[in-house]
Amino acid sequence: MGASDFILEMNGISKSFPGVKALDDVTIKIRPGTVHALMGENGAGKSTLMKCLFGIYIPDEGEIKLAGDRVAFQNSRQALDHGISMIHQELLPVPYRSVMENLWLGRYPIKGLGPFKLIDQKKMYDDTKRIFAELNMDLDPRIWVRNLSVSKIQSIEIAKAVSYKSKVIIMDEPTSSLTENEVAHLFGIIRRLRAEGVAIIYISHKMEEILEISDEVSIMRDGRHVGTYAAKDLTTDLIISKMVGRDLSSRFPKRENLPGDVVLKVEGLCSAETRSFRDVSFELRKGEILGIGGLVGAKRTELVESLFGLRPIESGTISLNGGIVDIGAPTEAIRRKMALLTEERRATGIVPMLSVSDNTLIANLRRYVRRIGLLDEKRGAEDVKRSIASLRVKTPTARTRIKDLSGGNQQKVLFARWLLTEPEILILDEPTRGIDVGAKYEIYSIIADLAKRGKSIIMISSEMPELLGMSDRIMVMCEGRLTGVLDGATANQEEIMRLATQFM
Amino acid sequence: MKRLLFALLIVAVLFAGCSGKAASGKPKIGAAIYKFDDTFMSYVRNSITENAKDKAEVEVVDSQNAQPTQNDQVDAFLSKKMNAIAINPVDRTAAASIIEKAKAKKTPVVFFNREPLAEDMGKWDKVYYVGAKAEQSGTMQGQIVVDYWKANAAADKNKDGKIQYIMLKGEPGHQDAELRTQFSIKAVTDAGIAVDKLAEDTAMWDRPKAFDKMKAYLAAYKDKIEVVFCNNDDMALGAIEALKAEGYFAGKKQIVVVGVDATAPALQALEEGTLLGTVLNDAKNQGKATFDLAYALAKGEDVAKAGWEITDGKYVWVPYQMVTKDNYKNFK
Amino acid sequence: MPKPSAAVETTANASLARRKAVADFSVKYAIYIVFMILIVGIAIKEPTFLSLTNFRNILSMSATRIIIALGVGGILISGGTDLSAGRQVGFAAVLSASLLQFQEYARRMYPNMPDLPLWLPIVGAIAACALFGLLNGAIIAYLKVPPFIATLGSMVAVYGVTSIYFDRPPYGAQPIGGLRKDFTNLGSGFVGFNDVWSIPFIVIIAIVIAVAVWVLHNKTRFGKNIYAIGGNPEAAKVSGVPVNKNLLLVYAFAGALYGLAGTLEAARTGGATNNYGNGYELDAIAACVVGGVSTSGGIGTVPGMLVGVLIFSIINYGLTFINMNPYWQQIIKGAIIIAAVALDIRKYLAKR
Repeated sequence: MGASDFILEMNGISKSFPGVKALDDVTIKIRPGTVHALMGENGAGKSTLMKCLFGIYIPDEGEIKLAGDRVAFQNSRQALDHGISMIHQELLPVPYRSVMENLWLGRYPIKGLGPFKLIDQKKMYDDTKRIFAELNMDLDPRIWVRNLSVSKIQSIEIAKAVSYKSKVIIMDEPTSSLTENEVAHLFGIIRRLRAEGVAIIYISHKMEEILEISDEVSIMRDGRHVGTYAAKDLTTDLIISKMVGRDLSSRFPKRENLPGDVVLKVEGLCSAETRSFRDVSFELRKGEILGIGGLVGAKRTELVESLFGLRPIESGTISLNGGIVDIGAPTEAIRRKMALLTEERRATGIVPMLSVSDNTLIANLRRYVRRIGLLDEKRGAEDVKRSIASLRVKTPTARTRIKDLSGGNQQKVLFARWLLTEPEILILDEPTRGIDVGAKYEIYSIIADLAKRGKSIIMISSEMPELLGMSDRIMVMCEGRLTGVLDGATANQEEIMRLATQFM
Repeated sequence: MKRLLFALLIVAVLFAGCSGKAASGKPKIGAAIYKFDDTFMSYVRNSITENAKDKAEVEVVDSQNAQPTQNDQVDAFLSKKMNAIAINPVDRTAAASIIEKAKAKKTPVVFFNREPLAEDMGKWDKVYYVGAKAEQSGTMQGQIVVDYWKANAAADKNKDGKIQYIMLKGEPGHQDAELRTQFSIKAVTDAGIAVDKLAEDTAMWDRPKAFDKMKAYLAAYKDKIEVVFCNNDDMALGAIEALKAEGYFAGKKQIVVVGVDATAPALQALEEGTLLGTVLNDAKNQGKATFDLAYALAKGEDVAKAGWEITDGKYVWVPYQMVTKDNYKNFK
Repeated sequence: MPKPSAAVETTANASLARRKAVADFSVKYAIYIVFMILIVGIAIKEPTFLSLTNFRNILSMSATRIIIALGVGGILISGGTDLSAGRQVGFAAVLSASLLQFQEYARRMYPNMPDLPLWLPIVGAIAACALFGLLNGAIIAYLKVPPFIATLGSMVAVYGVTSIYFDRPPYGAQPIGGLRKDFTNLGSGFVGFNDVWSIPFIVIIAIVIAVAVWVLHNKTRFGKNIYAIGGNPEAAKVSGVPVNKNLLLVYAFAGALYGLAGTLEAARTGGATNNYGNGYELDAIAACVVGGVSTSGGIGTVPGMLVGVLIFSIINYGLTFINMNPYWQQIIKGAIIIAAVALDIRKYLAKR
């Protein structure tokens, strides 16, 4: 195999941090004009590898070759100048600036003489238009980025990569917050770029997408390179077994819950916010897992946050155990034995700088208040210890800051937080988002076990297999309205999709 | 919307409480004070308003220690067609532009307490200045110390014939602070007494700061300190409080502390015997002189007949007064 | 995984690890190191600095600042800030001093008022500042005005209130003096044998308050709640923490502390003017920040705040003690604020 076969080679890369070997002799080679998927559980070393490529980390051993030449970038700007771009999972645009200013940020075209330099607005506009045309994108370069959807902002990032004439574009979880249509559009852009000889390194947890879009798949586990395979030879189960290092007999645990009486009844619920959900009615039974499916923008989050008192309701009723209740604030919801695990773990879940212990106890402090207002720390510590053990949270100590834990373990701490409030109804908004495969199974087991113990569960999910694999019933929403309720055992993806796009 | 109404309501209530006064036939005088929370200037301000009673309508404004604010206020005075303006400049060099403005509108100006540069004063004949000669306060402060030193041998603790002293200064660069520091010591040396400076630091005219500085000096120099010179009374009182905490003024342990301003708490300290002396910057007479001049100018009368001695055709010097245990009762 | 070159690598790693350990240690204890360097530096210049008298003086001049910093620190932890602290201190100083002048003093603010019990004006000043704090909290929690702006506004307004109270008949604006002995004793008295072997009352008060605040922050629901609110307000809200109520409390509690500090400041210096407390909020914020309190909320400890205040007291006192040029003192103070925070922030930055 000649050097020219590959646009990018990472040979024998190793990188250690105190106490952990994050990368161990990793060799991955990327061909031009292909989509190369990079897979692995969180902590497998994917992001460390990418950071080594971008000079954010300096590898202890190994070399990186770009188009046959050895390179060692000091920062991401150098990488950009050499034709390597990255589309980050969390996009950070400048909100109150125009699309084109975001695109050319830091390298605006300049005109003028000597010290009298001005930004060449017309050239900037024309260049932006031209790139958008290449990518078949329809976007006005002059509007504010603030008003755009995540998908549009992402396409600006891709356009930026193109503007750098990138030969390699890395996409980190690009579809994590996109709707089905937007994913299709993104894939269109990817195929276009591939046809022009650009190599795409595609990092994702979503098997179906990987199998659809990629040509080759490299799998990493525990900082090592497991292997690179042609996508056409792989199946979902094969990928998982290589990622996890063992065969998974099933992706979902066995459920043994038996739905009982109705505990929550929602009738004709309308949001007080504009363009939100309206006229939603449904029931939730004791010990039942009710899935809520739909596309991003179906107002599922708004619905459950309204049930929890975080958002105002205009009309309709909520009954708990037969009695109509008025839930105006989360405190009220918690008092009525409800719990809400929010979608945005970082934004509305964890308190990053506080310890695992404090994060576990925060929703439930009133139970530990003793005489003269002091907290019963011993009892708190015992409860935290028990929660950590029973949910198998991997943390050095209970005093470790939660930000230092992996996503899956953070999510388990949030489960522990809510379980300590002894809720009867748990609302889980995308409980496995951003969590690696091994930890997902554990989260599913926790959910199944809770249902078996008679807790009622509402679970929003955008992943069809998860919805089908975990729910007793699936309620589907589209554009703020309930479009149907399906039986979990007999439903299929097509049916959910049809209901989720009913008004589109 | 509710919030907006709420805010409007608050504003309305606030303004209802402070409506303007009705117009009358009396001459109108605008006065700007460099800042209201300067204790001394508030005495001058009170004196101006008291003297104006029944005679003129005086509008006094707070320049908040900002020259731009004061310039805006002067513009406002001129556009309100004040008959005369009395200005206590924030920055003495800014007087030039104030004079230009006033001259353009033919409105006479009396500056007070902070002396404009002589060349600015000469720009127009309807410009006057009322104030005290700052160096005089320093000289008098030194004089108080000299008198005491000569009468009390015990004041020279180490019997070396020299005064070991601490100087607590006001804001560095402030004209009063610099002149008082310089002339108080000059008065002592002119009287033939040698001095030995232990330390000199700024306490920014501030009582708590002087308190903390004095504590440190006491720890550093212990009984070596014989005299504490302070540029104002607030700092002197802070120093006294620190000295008291170290056991001074009770029984034999004595020390000389002098200030400037003769504020009420300082007079109290004189009575108690903790403060040796202070110098009165005569706020009442400065205020009265300022008003009298402005009033005469506003009515177009002859300034020379306003009852004050006018030096060089432009200056009224209000003398300082020494205040000690012997005469403090006259100033209460 | 054994390799041929394992031995060489181990030595290299060991020295690297040692260097790293030293670096980690210095980052972790940065403020304490700065603290020690300062003391050592001053002591080298002037060996008599290391005396009990100086130690005692530094503690007593820190006392009121500690109380203020504890109030501001709680607010910083909750993710807010308080620019009105200094002016509230000034208000409390003026209010309590005006009500505690002795009968014979010629210019009493209330010439005919009988002597009040000592506790009454103190409690009154604390209550008044708690009320200012409550107002701050309400503006921030309910009107959603950012804390910087809300307290900037109240800083200006409280000064106005103080000045109106201060500058009025019978004698107009003049420093309030002639304070009662029992009141000034609170500021200058001590428990012990003599003025060296003893602890000043105000230091005892500051220690009691510091312990109380430590308990409040670490052992109570309110404390846990403000750390959570500062660390992630949305998460706190979702977790059923009554965010607005806790914000009201944290500002009101801080106000009460400023009130106490203000009365002690008047008692300590034996007087008050409406300009008391000017700039104290910035000193307190700087001390907290140097002590490792994050201005973006959620991080900070009581011992850190205490060390922060002590660092500034040592600078103020020690540099005066060695008779350093006042302008240089300013430069050193500024440099320490920046250096301490630059070092402290490394604890939270990702390592390369």
